[in-house]
Amino acid sequence: MAERVSDLAGALVAEALRRGFEEAAALVWRSKSVMVKMFNSEISVVQRWSSLTVSLYLAKEGRIMVSTIHPSSIEKAGAIVERAVKVASQLKPSMLYAPLPEPAKVEPLPGLADKSVIDAMSEPEPLAEAMLSEADSLGVERAAGAITLSLSEKGLATSKGVKLEEEATGVEAYLRAFIGEASGQWAVGSRRLRPEELRRVARTAAELASQAKGEAKHVEPGTYDVVLSPMVVGNLMNLVGMMAGALAVMMGNSIFARVQPGSKVAAEKFTLVDDPRTPELLGSTAFDDEGLPTASKPIIEGGVLRTLLHNSKTAAKMQAKSTGNAGWIYPHAWTLSVKPGDATLDEMIREVKRGVVITNNWYTRLQNYVEGIFSTIARDAAFYVENGEIKHPVTRIRIADRLPKLLSNIELLGKELYDISWWEVSPAVRAPYILARQINISRPFE
Amino acid sequence: MHEDLLQRCVDEALKLGASYAEARFHRHIGSSMFTRNGELIGYGESIREGVGIRVIVNGALGFSASNSLSWESLREAVAEAVKLARSHAKLMKRPVELAEARLGKAKYEALCLKPLDSMGLEEKIAVLAEIWERVKGAVKEAKVMTLTASYSEDVEEKTVVNSDGALVVSRVPRVTVGYNFVLLHPQKGTLQRRFEFGGSGGLEQLGRWKPAEHAEEEAVRLEKVLLEGVEPPKEPVDVIVGSEIVGLIVHESCGHPSEADRILGREAAQAGMSFIKPGMLGQRIGSEHATVIDDPTIPGSYGFYLYDDEGVPARARYLYKNGVINEHLHNRWTAKLFGVESNAAARAMDHNSEPIIRMANTYFAPGDHTFEELVEDVKLGVYMRSYMEWNIDDIRWGQRYVGLEAYLIENGEITKPVRNPALEITTGAFYSKVDAAGKELRFYPGSCGKGEPMQGVPVWFGGPDVRLRSVKLGVVA
Repeated sequence: MAERVSDLAGALVAEALRRGFEEAAALVWRSKSVMVKMFNSEISVVQRWSSLTVSLYLAKEGRIMVSTIHPSSIEKAGAIVERAVKVASQLKPSMLYAPLPEPAKVEPLPGLADKSVIDAMSEPEPLAEAMLSEADSLGVERAAGAITLSLSEKGLATSKGVKLEEEATGVEAYLRAFIGEASGQWAVGSRRLRPEELRRVARTAAELASQAKGEAKHVEPGTYDVVLSPMVVGNLMNLVGMMAGALAVMMGNSIFARVQPGSKVAAEKFTLVDDPRTPELLGSTAFDDEGLPTASKPIIEGGVLRTLLHNSKTAAKMQAKSTGNAGWIYPHAWTLSVKPGDATLDEMIREVKRGVVITNNWYTRLQNYVEGIFSTIARDAAFYVENGEIKHPVTRIRIADRLPKLLSNIELLGKELYDISWWEVSPAVRAPYILARQINISRPFE
Repeated sequence: MHEDLLQRCVDEALKLGASYAEARFHRHIGSSMFTRNGELIGYGESIREGVGIRVIVNGALGFSASNSLSWESLREAVAEAVKLARSHAKLMKRPVELAEARLGKAKYEALCLKPLDSMGLEEKIAVLAEIWERVKGAVKEAKVMTLTASYSEDVEEKTVVNSDGALVVSRVPRVTVGYNFVLLHPQKGTLQRRFEFGGSGGLEQLGRWKPAEHAEEEAVRLEKVLLEGVEPPKEPVDVIVGSEIVGLIVHESCGHPSEADRILGREAAQAGMSFIKPGMLGQRIGSEHATVIDDPTIPGSYGFYLYDDEGVPARARYLYKNGVINEHLHNRWTAKLFGVESNAAARAMDHNSEPIIRMANTYFAPGDHTFEELVEDVKLGVYMRSYMEWNIDDIRWGQRYVGLEAYLIENGEITKPVRNPALEITTGAFYSKVDAAGKELRFYPGSCGKGEPMQGVPVWFGGPDVRLRSVKLGVVA
């Protein structure tokens, strides 16, 4: 039987202390995953991984060092401690140094591992076939996508006496469906395998492709109301979540760099939660990398910035408390949820006099993180809306505006929530459709 | 060093029924550090090593990887890859086949004149601290709100063995230095700049880059942009696109759409597709000045290699030649489908990754103009020297680059700074509107993302300054 990952972590911490480090923490992941990749409605490759990943945090006299290795054996992980001894003396003390926290009670999070995921990992192809045949039955000409199933054990030990472990499964599936030039894409991410959810992903992608058939037209650059799908909301919330990290704020990579918690930063209806304690969400976990318990808590609540995301180091630097979001260096969101509203998608569209519906996006980039000047490209089905009705598909548009403005101009949120995870949404986000008013839309010069 | 073990993996796969097998030992040993306002935040090291196994069985592709180098683990990984391929072979409509290729038996190393360990960590930290000192002292009216700087190094070692006879051993060290600063002025707001140097080789590169000097000079110019920048003209004007942006443009709108796997749709649900369709070789995409080359063999380049991960010898690829779509980027699978030879574009990020089609060092071929000659016959125009925001749609046709350091050109002279001009343009329009290219070629490093799971591989992109005639620029909202 394989050694427990927390024991492996514990042995590395002991080795580090024996070699003269004052503090140490070790995270050991042992994981298995399988991915089926599809294109042109067939499987292009099936890949399987089995890996051991070890991360070590070592500190001495305020000097800190983090090593991540994929060792060919656990003995090799020990060798990195030996090397670190030589390196540590050359380092300067870190301006971010604070001691690792004392252990706190961690309530385990039941339901992180789903046996049906583990069972399906030995033969994942039927899941892919089911998605492809669902899309095919709805008239899709070709489809591409991927299904990933994973099982991972996470073990943590620290020199403060923390010793924890957790087993979790993961499912991520997405499909892009094509009918002629039209396309639709949808995705799901969860800790649990529900084959009907995978079929729903395929069906939604196919339905969007079908709705987007017909001549896609340009819209002129200008301000429009925008209805954003949970795929798009997920992508943009990844950005907000990243910017809520306290180190991102310190490094000038955040719209929160010039505001304090308690400030109004979004529309009153908008609440964004870092949600690690909801076990079905991909990314959920009971403890952070310092061994502190995680908590589901609002980052933005009722439009007000409630907290940045902290580890012990950023908390000490900014006179705050850790929020259970370590990252030894970078605090980060685990998984994000947007609170639902009470609108249906149809009701949102009816509210729009002149606007666009964007069902998917990619390539979000910023001109300035502090001011949140960004653009992102609509991908797949997108529609022009006039006087509450969808008029025609649109092509090649961007949202090019300021993130704070977009957050402040949210007017309606959908009542239905979707768990999204794919290439452009990671960590996973539970999100509704949203309607935001008067957002700048651009298009390329031809 | 692992040839025998890898050959044993290949033999085992063939014994189990594979028609093709490939075993790649792949190791990265790296370290990185970053500072804020001159003070060290953290230092990290990483080691990734293992073997990636790729097989074809009954026309289907299987891939598996193992951290462990024990024969038991590797044999298991081989059996797994064969099983994965066999189990979905029955679903394949079009079997995977590889084009014939002349494969290498070779060993090479990227030149490293000053080894990575020839400087201590303290000296490397000092390189970053100096960036802060110089930038802090450079701005006068604005304030440096924050400056982070980073240093990283990585040594990539590979041994590729396959059943068609390849045996390629390589070692490529790489170094990067980057900085990110925000200038703040109470009335004018903020301006942010990120920049990175990178290349293969050793620490001799630091002497060429002079990162602190570069950052200081940029800060001086960018403070002026923050304080004095005006809106770009609203009417169509001539635009001189700076080398840094030209490099990114050719990467995004020539290199990516030229990837043959993307053209075939294999990346459709992730990195997307291409406006280039099979059969478009020979079609015009731009003016005669538009030649774009991707060349993995440039010494010192960030995307340097001499053989790809299928063992095919690398060469320069002329993707667009004098305005015509000339050649795609191929691995052996797409080469077979297109009826050509592979031009060695198969690369994997690490042992856990399947080799897929990637760029290496993509650049716009230089022309014959000096910068002054490009500017002198522009009556009204904008020179965009650097950028922050950019993106491109998934068929690589509609793209946007927002200028950071930019200037108005009036009557053949650079006059005042311009704030945030947005060049949002189609690929066809960009290459068609180039009427002159500068003679000075410069390169910039990047990590290019593609694949599922995402693989980031080092690339260079570059070019000279180029001039576009009559383009309408956007204004940032």
